[in-house]
Amino acid sequence: MALLEVKDLRTSFKTEDGIVTAVDGVSFSVEKGQTLGIVGESGSGKSVTCLTIMGLNARRSTMSSGEALWKGKDLIRAKPSQLRKIRGDEMSMIFQDPMTSLNPVHTIGKQLVEAVQLHRDVTVRVAKARALELLKAVGIPKAEARIDDYPHQFSGGMRQRVMIAMALINDPDLLIADEPTTALDVTTQAQILNLMKRLQDDFGSAIIMITHDLGVVAETADDVVVMYAAKVVEHAKVHDLFNRPQHPYTWGLMGSLPRLDADLERLVQIPGQPPSLLRPPGGCRFHPRCPYVMGVCRTTDPPLLGAERDPSHLQACHLDQETKDREGTKLVEATMAEA
Amino acid sequence: MATEQGSNGQMESQMELHGDELLVVDGVKKYFPITRGIIFQKAIAQVQAVDGVSFTINPGETLGIVGESGCGKSTLARCIVRLLETTAGRILFEGRDITHVSRQGMRPIRREMTMIFQDPYASLNPRKRVGFTVGEPLEVHKLGTPSEVKTRVQELLEVVGLNPEHYNRFPHEFSGGQRQRIGVARALAVNPKLIVCDEPVSALDVSVQAQILNLLKDLQDDFGLTYVFIAHDLNVVRHISDRVMVMYLGQVSELAPRDALYREPKHPYTGALLSAVPIPNPERGRAREPIVLEGDVPSPVNPPSACRFHPRCPRFVEGHCDVEEPQLRSFGEGHIAKCHYPLERWPMTSAEMRRRGSAEAHEEPVQA
Repeated sequence: MALLEVKDLRTSFKTEDGIVTAVDGVSFSVEKGQTLGIVGESGSGKSVTCLTIMGLNARRSTMSSGEALWKGKDLIRAKPSQLRKIRGDEMSMIFQDPMTSLNPVHTIGKQLVEAVQLHRDVTVRVAKARALELLKAVGIPKAEARIDDYPHQFSGGMRQRVMIAMALINDPDLLIADEPTTALDVTTQAQILNLMKRLQDDFGSAIIMITHDLGVVAETADDVVVMYAAKVVEHAKVHDLFNRPQHPYTWGLMGSLPRLDADLERLVQIPGQPPSLLRPPGGCRFHPRCPYVMGVCRTTDPPLLGAERDPSHLQACHLDQETKDREGTKLVEATMAEA
Repeated sequence: MATEQGSNGQMESQMELHGDELLVVDGVKKYFPITRGIIFQKAIAQVQAVDGVSFTINPGETLGIVGESGCGKSTLARCIVRLLETTAGRILFEGRDITHVSRQGMRPIRREMTMIFQDPYASLNPRKRVGFTVGEPLEVHKLGTPSEVKTRVQELLEVVGLNPEHYNRFPHEFSGGQRQRIGVARALAVNPKLIVCDEPVSALDVSVQAQILNLLKDLQDDFGLTYVFIAHDLNVVRHISDRVMVMYLGQVSELAPRDALYREPKHPYTGALLSAVPIPNPERGRAREPIVLEGDVPSPVNPPSACRFHPRCPRFVEGHCDVEEPQLRSFGEGHIAKCHYPLERWPMTSAEMRRRGSAEAHEEPVQA
């Protein structure tokens, strides 16, 4: 049994302008000790997917359907009290902005102790020892002294380490990291990614890594889900995705990246803007921006199906297999040319 | 034409100029005072945001400036376009010293030198129509009658890939990428020679980022523009730049033609930056070994002694790097770096980086 199995998840928000479906029929599963990468641009629904699984959307204005089976129990229909027991214990989350996600008026020690005591019946002394252990594990220098500091006394990279320590303090089985390195400089990003890799080896947690950075996904994920306009357009093993990408949107994303390891004279550009989810385009949602658009794309939404040669490589596109192989290979070859 | 400058003796730069440079930045410093007190303000310390930066830019080229947050790259940009007064040093635009030109005197120069800002949400006035925003520089410089301005604005909107009919819309009606196009149109309005781009694509999604990068390149080809392109993303800088300057804590660590910098970095900091960039290819990406730097960037209020990179440097030599400040030295055509123990080759692992050789370490200090 998968650790987490998401089936046909849908999340809609009531807004002043109408109903926005931010997640529309998303399915995937996460196995123990594995890393699932979710890539997409802003507004593609990648964060909302995870907030829905965690039950962190505002209840009043949100409608969710589908299933998110956590060790067999459905989280979507779980009571808030049940979710509170799971969150921060079996399943925890690292947010993008470490400044706004730590409480500025409490010391980090107090916040870490609280995280332990919410789930474990232990004394402050024991909880604090555990907090200290985690701060050391994430590489905070002079942890004994710094445990009584306030968040503003830490730099961005250090705050993100504190967030990771807090997320890991109860040995979660699943860690959801929502753009954990986006706000950080590249050398700090390298430190944090290294740290997450090491902690995953030590603690054996599964990770869902949400990011817009294909580089981060390529290096950390085992499986990758590519989202566009609230839907999954491609889902494959990381090597398959990067070596045999099947969807025109994935091609566009890969081709539009300036990169260190290849010389590209001109970047591929996906024309236009991502669509509004208030009134998404009919048929395939990518069709207004797709250079390969055909008549059927405007009318019929392509289902997420296995590729002809590899049923585990899921993709949602009407193009024939020959064209997909040809175009995908062309793109990969262009980016494989050594710089 | 050799010029002397520098007040504290150690930053005596001697720039060799050939007279055709569009922009010369010579030993520019910008210190911000930290004050205490409300009525009687007293400076108690200084943030050395930019500390003795020199470089030149030739017409038609793109100079990329990279560095982590707090390295002074944005402050430098603001000094170049005189949005900030420099503390010391000179800025020459087309051979003319503009460091201390009056506001009035700057006016004609502002037609030649414009800026594109990072945040397309904050840099457009939300209460002004796009036509006004793009046309305002033309009105300020009294370029044309209202109807001529309107024609020019519509032309500009078309040039940057927007619909000219969107002349009467407000910024909130546009997406992030479209707003950045408006910022580009406004910077282009007065036909400048130099555009200083301060993180123009950092706030954008990758597909939109590619659109703006392609647009900037096309405009450069069409109008012969010169760019100073500031970014923290090494991929983006590599794509757009002819030459690249790496900054660390207000100083130049390395400055080189693009390929030289990315293929044969000499400064350990440049090496660490390059090795830290994730590669969107599972095989190559996982094979790379990032040189992980310890700790964070120190505070520019109280920068480390001698070489500012020494507390984090894998090649640090006690008694040398923390005592004697390295000078910028030459490593071939237009390639300078500020290090006592430059990298012998590239790529290198962390362990290899620690074993420093000294073959190149005794070259003559750079003259240019």
